[in-house]
Formats: sequence, C-alpha cells, structure tokens
Amino acid sequence: MPFTDIAVAIQISFTYFTIIYLTGLGGLFSERSGIVNIGLEGLMIVGTVTGAFGVRFFTDTVGLGSVWGPLLGLLFGALCGAIFASIHAVATITFRVDHIVSGVVINLIAIGLARFLSYAFFNGQSTQSDPGGPHLARLDVPGLSSLPGGLDRAFEGLSPMVVVAALMVIPVWYSLYRTRWGLRLRSCGENPEATRSLGVSVPQYRYQGVLLSGAFAGLSGAFLAAEVIGNWREGQTLGLGFIALAALILSNWNPIRLMFFAWLFGFAVAIPLRLNDAPVISLLPEQFIRMIPYVVTIVAIAGFVGRVRPPAAAGRAYEGGGGS
Amino acid sequence: MTTGGGAGGNGSPPLVVLEHITKRFPGVLANDEVDLELRAGEVHALIGENGAGKSTLMRVLYGMYPADGGRILVRGQEIKIGSPRDAIANGIGMVHQHFVLVDPFTVTENIILGEEGGERLDVVAAQQRIAELADSYGFRVDPGAVVEELSVGEEQRVEILKALYRGVEILILDEPTAVLTPSESKDLFDNLRKLREAGRTIVFISHKLDEVMEIADRITVLRRGRVVGETPPAETSKAKLAEMMVGRPVLFRLEKPTVQIGEPVLRVQDLTGDGKLNGLSLEVRAGEILGVAGVEGNGQRELAESLIGLRTPASGTIELEGSSIAGRRVFDIRNAGVGYIPEDRHEQGLVLNMTLWENALLGRQDDAEFSGTLGVLFIKKVKELTARLIKLFDIRARSVDVAASTLSGGNQQKLILARELETDPKLLIAAQPTRGLDVGAIEFVWKQILDQKAAGRGVLLISAELDEIYALSDRIVTLYEGKITGEFPPDAPPEQIGMGMLGRAPEEAA
Amino acid sequence: MATQGLAPPIAVARTRPAWLETFAGQALALLASFAIALVAGSLLIIAYGENPIDVYTSILDASLGSADGIGYVLAIATPLIFSALAVSVCFKGGMFNIGVEGQYLVAMITAAVAELNLDFLPGPLLIPAVLIAAMLGGMIWAAVPGVLKVRTGAHEVVTTIMMNGIAVSLVGWALNGPLHYNDAPEGAFVDLRSNVFPPEGLAGDLGAKFGVTPGAHLSWLLFLAIVAAIVVWFLIRRTRLGYEARAVGSSPGSAKAGGVSIGSTQLRLFLISGALAGLVGMHLILADRGYLPLNYVVGLGFTGIAVAFLGQNNPIGIIFAAILWGILSRGEVALQISSQVPREFIIILQGLLILTVVITYQIAKRRLAARQLQRAGLAGELEDSAAPEESSGPRGPEDTGAEALEPGKRI
Repeated sequence: MPFTDIAVAIQISFTYFTIIYLTGLGGLFSERSGIVNIGLEGLMIVGTVTGAFGVRFFTDTVGLGSVWGPLLGLLFGALCGAIFASIHAVATITFRVDHIVSGVVINLIAIGLARFLSYAFFNGQSTQSDPGGPHLARLDVPGLSSLPGGLDRAFEGLSPMVVVAALMVIPVWYSLYRTRWGLRLRSCGENPEATRSLGVSVPQYRYQGVLLSGAFAGLSGAFLAAEVIGNWREGQTLGLGFIALAALILSNWNPIRLMFFAWLFGFAVAIPLRLNDAPVISLLPEQFIRMIPYVVTIVAIAGFVGRVRPPAAAGRAYEGGGGS
Repeated sequence: MTTGGGAGGNGSPPLVVLEHITKRFPGVLANDEVDLELRAGEVHALIGENGAGKSTLMRVLYGMYPADGGRILVRGQEIKIGSPRDAIANGIGMVHQHFVLVDPFTVTENIILGEEGGERLDVVAAQQRIAELADSYGFRVDPGAVVEELSVGEEQRVEILKALYRGVEILILDEPTAVLTPSESKDLFDNLRKLREAGRTIVFISHKLDEVMEIADRITVLRRGRVVGETPPAETSKAKLAEMMVGRPVLFRLEKPTVQIGEPVLRVQDLTGDGKLNGLSLEVRAGEILGVAGVEGNGQRELAESLIGLRTPASGTIELEGSSIAGRRVFDIRNAGVGYIPEDRHEQGLVLNMTLWENALLGRQDDAEFSGTLGVLFIKKVKELTARLIKLFDIRARSVDVAASTLSGGNQQKLILARELETDPKLLIAAQPTRGLDVGAIEFVWKQILDQKAAGRGVLLISAELDEIYALSDRIVTLYEGKITGEFPPDAPPEQIGMGMLGRAPEEAA
Repeated sequence: MATQGLAPPIAVARTRPAWLETFAGQALALLASFAIALVAGSLLIIAYGENPIDVYTSILDASLGSADGIGYVLAIATPLIFSALAVSVCFKGGMFNIGVEGQYLVAMITAAVAELNLDFLPGPLLIPAVLIAAMLGGMIWAAVPGVLKVRTGAHEVVTTIMMNGIAVSLVGWALNGPLHYNDAPEGAFVDLRSNVFPPEGLAGDLGAKFGVTPGAHLSWLLFLAIVAAIVVWFLIRRTRLGYEARAVGSSPGSAKAGGVSIGSTQLRLFLISGALAGLVGMHLILADRGYLPLNYVVGLGFTGIAVAFLGQNNPIGIIFAAILWGILSRGEVALQISSQVPREFIIILQGLLILTVVITYQIAKRRLAARQLQRAGLAGELEDSAAPEESSGPRGPEDTGAEALEPGKRI
C-alpha cells in the first residue's frame, strides 16, 4: 500500500495521541496525589460539549476571531472539566466516598449533563451540535513536513494543539520532579500519613490534583469536539478516556513513558480510520477492524499489568483530617 | 538525685512541663491528670504496659491530639499545640513506632518534605546540609539512598534526622527498639548519648525494662492513664518497675504443664524463598511449644505464611505428621489440622466489616456442620457456635451480630484464638499472638497456648518478645535472615539468645 | 483466667438488633438524599419559571396516576433490575462490572441465534432455551475480563469497558452478516435488524390482564426479574459463595487465610453477573420488538450501575430503586407534554440523586460505625494505640472505627 496511507494514518495517530496524552496527564496528576480517577471519560465528555460551545461562542458570538476564539473555547472546555471534576474531589476527599464508585458516578452524570447542556447550548438539540465549528488553523511541522516518499503527509495539517500536547511533557515533568509542589503532591499519593505528619495538607494537594485532571481531560475533550470532529456528538469520546487510563497504567504513571503509550494507542485508534486496506487488516470484516483499538488495549493491559507499581496510597481513603 | 550523665539533670529548670494533662477517647480515659517534666540534656523514659497511655500522652505533646484538660508549658510559657507543625515550631519532635517515610523517595527528599526552602528544589544543596547534620551527631546515613532499600535501623536514623533537621530540642521516640536488632539498638543508644551531650532531651517510650535501666536518666511510670511513680534508675530495679507498671507482683512465668513430648508434628527442611527464607529448618513435636525468637523482618512472616499455605516457598519441604504440605492450598492445609493466629489480625485474621458469627465461620465454611447442598449456610448453627465461643473465651461483645470492628484488640484476638482452637488443630501457628494486648488478655492467650500443649498438640510460637518466648517455650530457636541460627533450652540466658538473634552461633558468645 | 468480672449475657432480643439499626440508618440516609436532590432540582425548575410542586406532581401523575403509567414504569424497571443485580453481585466481591453494557449486547445476539435456529421447539421449551442462550452469551462475555482479572490482575474497569466497545462492533457485524434479515417483503424499506422471532418465542404481554396498554410492553419478565432478585439475595446472604464473596470483597487477606480461594470466587461472581446481565436485553427483543434491531436501547448497563447504587447494592433495594428510576424516566413524557422544563431535566435529577445517595450513604456508614464503636467502647478494655494502623479500640478523633469498604482497587 502506498506510503501516503501510512503517513496519513500516522497523522491521525498524532491527533489521537493528543487526546489520549492530555487525558492521561490529567489522570497522572490525580492519581499521583492519591485519588484514583476513572471518571476521565466523563470529564472528557463535559469537555466536548462545553468546548464545542465555547469555540463557537468565542469565535462567532463574542467575535474574537479565528485564533483567540478557538483558543478560549478550548480553555473554556478545560475550565468546565475542572469544575465538573470538583464533584469527584469533594466526594472522594471530603466525604471519602470510594474512588472508583465516585468515578463511575462522574461518568454516569456526565452523559446526562452533556445532554442537558447541549439542549441549553445548541438550541434544544440534545444529542449533537451543528457541524463545521471553528477551529485553530492547521500547521505543518517545519522540517518534517518536507520528508520524501509521502511521509511528509504525516506532519502536515496538524492542529497546533498536537505540538502543545507533545511539549506538555516538559512543564509536567518539571513540576512533578523538580518543584516543591510536585514533591508534596507525590508524597500525598505515596504516603499521606507521612505527608501529614510533616504538616503538609494532604486534602489541599489532592484537590489540586483532581482539579488538574479535570482541566486536562476537559481540554482533551474540547480538542476532540472542536478540532478533530468539528462538532459535538453524543458518544464521540468512544471510550478514549478509558484507553487513556490504560495508557497511564502501562506507563507506570510516568509522563515520559505515557507519551509512548498514548501514541501507541493513538495509532491503534487510527487503524480503523485509515488503514482498512492494509495487508492482513483488510482480511477482517469492517466491524472487526473497528474492534482493534479495544483489543489492543486489553492485550496490553493484561500482558503488562503485573509490572507496574501504582502510587502506594492511591485509592485508599485517607483518614486524616486537614493538614497544619 | 543523680543522673546517668549529660549536661542536664539536677538543677536545670524544666524545658517542658505537662501539667494535669487529661485525654479522653470514647469509653476510655487514656490520660488522667498526668504531670511530667522534661529537662534539657536528659534521657527520660516513659514506661507502662500496653494501654497505659504513654503513646497518647506524647501524641498530645506532639499536637496530634488535643488535650481535654491541663496545659503544656515550654520554657515557662504556656502554649497551645494544635498540630505537629506547632510542636515542631516549639522544638518538639516525634519518631513513631511505625515509621512514616515515603518509600520511593530518597533520604533527602523525605527529610526536606515540608521544609523545602523554596519552590525550586535544590536537591544537591539539601543533600549537603543533611550529610553535615548527620556527621555532627555521628549518624551514618547516605542522603542519596532510596528509603525502600534501607535497613530498619537506617530508616530510624532518617526519622530522627527529620526531626533534627527542623531544629527540635526534644525528641520523642516511641518504642524505638521494637524493630531493631541488638546491634542496631546499641548504635541507637550511642547516638542518643551524643544527642544528650549536645543538650537535647530524649523521651524514650518503652516497655523493655532492661533498656530503660541502661539508658535513662529518669523514669516515669504510667499505669491506666495515671503517673504512679518517677525515679532515676539507680533508685529502683526491674522488678519494682514491673510492679509499678502492673500494680501487682507480676508473674513473669505461668505454670508450664508437664507433658510427654511425642513424635514430630511439623518438620520443616531447608525452606527457601522470597529472599527472606534461606534454608530454614525446624521441628515441632506433639505436646511441645517451640519458640522462634527473632527481631521482626528476619523471615517470621514468610515462615508463618508458608506453613499455612498463603505462600509457596521456592524450595524446601514442610511435613505435617509425615505428609507434605508445602505449596498446598490454605484450604487443604487447614483441613489437615493446622490453625493460624496471624501476626496482623486485621489483614489476615478477621473481616472487620462482618459480624462476629461470620468471622467465627471463617475457615470452616465448608464443614458439613455449617453448610449443605448448593452451599446453603446453616446460620443458626454458626450463631450457636459463636455464642458458645464468646462465653468460653470471655469475649466482651453485645451480641453475635455486631461487627468485629467494634471489639477491642484483645477481644478480637480472643475471637481468632477461639475460632482456631475450636478445630483442635494438630499444629497451632501463633505469630506475635499478644501484640498490642493488655496484661489480662496476654495472660489469657498464654494460658490457651499452654492448654494446647497440655492436650498434646504442637505449637509453633513466633514472637519478638523474649518475655513471651521464655514464658511459653519448651525449646527456643533463633531466627536471623531466614535461617535458624541456634537452639536453646528454655532457661538459656538472654545474652545467648541475643547472639542467636544476631546470627552468631552460641559458641561465639565472647 | 483474668478476673474481669462476668461477661454480659449474649444479647439477642434485649437490645436493638444490629441489622435493624443499620437498616434504619440507611433508610434515613436515603430519605435525606432524596430530599436534597429534590430541593436542588426545584431550584433548577424555578430557574425555568415553573413551580416545582407542579412539575413533580405531573411526573408522579404520569407514572403512577394511571394503570398505563404504572405499566410503563414497571416495564422500564424490568431490564434495570437485571442490570443492577448484575452489578451488585460483582460489587459484593469487591469488583466493578462496568461491562454489563457489552454483556447484554452479546446476549441479545446469542438469544437471537437461539430464537431463529431453535424454532422447532414448542413455546414452553423455546423460551427457556432462549433465556439460557442469553445468559450463556452474557457469561461468556463476562468470562473474558473475569479470567483476565484472576490470571493477570488486569483491572476489570478497563477491560470491561473495552469489551463493551468490542460488543458494539460485534452486534453491527452480526446484523450485517449472519443475522441479517431476509424475511422482509420485496421492495420494503426496513431498518437493519434480524429476522422476526417466532411468536411462541416471545414474552407475552402481561399488561392486558391489568388494563395496561400493550404499548407499554409489560411482560412476565418482570416476575422473572423479581425472582432473580430474591435468588440473588439468597445467594449473597445465605450461601457459602455469597459469604465467601463478601469476605473477599471486604478483606481479601483474611479470606485467603481462612481458606477461601479468591480467584475462584471472583470468577464465579463474574459469571453469575454475566448471566444476569444477559437477561437485561430480553425485554427489548422478546417483549418489545420481537427481533434484534440495530437501533437497540443503549445505556442499560450504565443505568444499572446507577440503580445499583440507589438501591445500595441490596437486591430488594434494587427493585425499589429500579421502580423509582422508572417513575423518573416516565416523567420525561410528562415534562414534554405539560411543561417548559426540558425533558433533559430528568437526567439531571437522576444524576443528582445518584450523587447524593452515594455521599449520604458514606456519611451514614461512618456515623453508624462510630456509634457502634462508641457503645462497644464502654464495655471494652483500655488499650494503647501504639500503631497508627491499629484500628481496634479507641484511636483518635479522626477514626470512626469500621473501615470503609475497600474493594480491590489495586490496578
């Protein structure tokens, strides 16, 4: 098959890498602080509907033009994700509800909330918004977009958010491992008793971790709706939030390794979208090709899960009170 | 009044005064108008049995609990200590019995957590400071090491450094030698003496009278929440201290029944695995209690778990009355006649959320007496059994339907004991069976174990408390780094046994 | 023997039995959460310029005010009961079966296959055969994450969701391929579906006997659901498997030390859960449509989780919770007809309800444990809290005794 098809598949994989990586980073901050967050899918959903609304609102209604409009729209999605995540934070940190139960509740509420918000935002349509929403101008990666043999297509026409996501690893890594804030956050997830005994407020850092997870997942959802698809549609997150969770686990909660797994799964998602004619794959019925990302995730999780080590205190209800 | 040494002692004004401290918990008066004075440059021992209130008192001082009555004065000024941060700000630090260290972090990261000195972490500078601090007190520690890989003694040094790094003048140590080998304890005492010379105050909470007599300048005895005495070691003796602790002359030994020792019930050969067991061999005969003495962390847990089937050893044999049980399922091993009193009664003993009768059933849910076709449970029978056990073992509970979590530690242990003994096991594995229990419960448990011996059963007693080993064992072996290092008669002197616990053969005892 | 005085006689009838106290406490918590949700909902209603009393009354009217309404409510509740039971069975063992969604899809496929290939069987044999096929389909689909969890430790939340995704594609493939209809007359436009099932293989309309419109599709599957709830209750409370499951879900270490095989217990729970999940879709294809359509109902698996939480994972509570959910869902119709408030409001209300129930349940559990502990403390012994982990006996002001249920969260 021509290289162009593979190149386009790679280009698509970058897009889905962005989604999975951003969501995964969100999960990273939450779980590193000790709060298991399986509600990433729900947070993304909130991001999709609010992001789709936001880009239209800021671009058209407020009239900020095609750079600031979509940008603020995406940030609006992130903000709404953070606000929605506060439910998870309050439930798990203040009320000490089981983390997974709360995460499931988040996912349940998100579906309904998205419908409700859609009704409010998009003129009574409750399952989708009008297509063709505004988005950021596409760019070509300098240098890589002049590769020969059709490979250049992999780096053309990317949303700037892809680059932002890839570069995100730097501030994330730095904040986690080279700042006081990161040290304290990680200690909340490894040993909250030790953290508290030193006068550091565990709830405070955990709240921050969860809100960040909402912001990142919301941003990711907004990106999906606004930049990738072009509108909001119910169910468009397709389990990507859970795939991001799997990527996070496999990466052993490390922001650098997460990039690899996010891309790997992003490629698996791209296969049914572009590589239906590839050898071997073309032998499968169309619906089976669509199963590929899910099968890949299961195989990866089942195969490698024994070798990962989650933050030691993630998931345990912390019985302590406030900090100092 | 003379002291054992140090710059403080007679004449220096008290650094910290606890005045009429009272602390209540639901249903319990943990501290009852306790008065305590701490002076600069002294090692002050706080002793009492489990439940006397010593840890509670220090936790009040350290700001972990608010006092219900009384006040605290530091350098003559009354202050409110609302949290550990306040305590540290007033120069008071505490090292708990169970360390609070972040395993994957380095020594440096653990020490600076909370006192990082700026948003940007300068790990190199911090490591330098810590190395200097450690040197000044003669502490051997590598600031760059990851805590997970440290020995227990090293971890304790990190905890102490944590406090010193924050400039504390009063250091509270809660049962510091409970987890140390004899040589590590010696190192600790050397460090404590250096700290005392430097003018620091050490509060040494312990129930080990030997050590207290060795290191303390003054000893305060608590019993049932009250101060019953305060004295320097020179003016007292172990026996007098023990009597003050318990309130009556203490029987260090119960009557051991004379029983004909029979054939081996348990035979373990070259048990190896998990990095913790290294060719362990021992034997328990019918009518015998074998005491396995050793400091925690030398393979006790792995040994117990291998015997009951929670672990499969990499190699070696385990035979129960001749049949091999190594690697078999817990279910089968139990049915073969093994009972298990676990070290951790919450992790491996009881299901706290479940009722007493549900817990009594655990291990016997397959018995024809309690379950029938299709797995239907005969709950009435189970409740009858439970009621009988509660009466027999004097377990304080309102009914068989309350949750196990509502029982006190002693009663929980009694429930486990009752349940395990009810099946009349040929071999009883008792790992740290009286940890955290008060004297009444301890005596009760010891008697039950001796009754097992009297009935001709075998008991494998694994304990870190030498008193317990002495009180119950017919033979004593020492466990060090996964191997049995020596066998001793029940009247062997503690120094010899201590050598064994250190890994040295008895003949080497200088 | 230590002289501690006489032990108090074992109280059986003298004091309030523990289960009654728990029940009362939970009922109170439930009421409180309803109240909070309704009040929060009222605020939203007022924002739309309507009177909350009117809105709530019209919801109740549409659902309980007529035989038809009740019929609809019960029909909606039927699949939800199965779904919630499936979730709760796994939850008791400390696991989260989020895969009910996929399990009922696969079950619908296997049931359709049975319907169309076993039609030589007479009615009274065909229907049980179909139901068994459905349960097998659900079990097989649940077995995959179950085995993976037991063998590799793969967390069931991720694997079950992935299985859901696969199941969706599987149904699409089946309806485009082997199950594609071929019974439509020439030139007719028919939505993608399977062949129509033989009439003796359908779940008859129960509503007719009670004056309920056939449009509600109320069938005897409702009774099957109630029977299933009773069976699950019996299983959890009165059998060895249920006992072992609860022990594993509460304290796997102690369960294991007590001879319980954790892996075997977990797997069996998953299989039972899958079987129950398999029956979720039966209402749609046997009572409602009579064939397997491509536009099948989605979300029953997730709604089942909500109903399970509302019913506090108790089989009897689940029946009531499912009915409550049915009432609210039916209320959507009322809103559409007679109110400015959009029907999506119901979804918000349902969401609020789940949230408040989960939180108040947690608060109630801790309060209850604290009170039990306090009362026991008066009869207990004085003990030192040497170790921070030691939760026996009085600890500190933060401790409320019984630990929160910690289903295996280690990923």
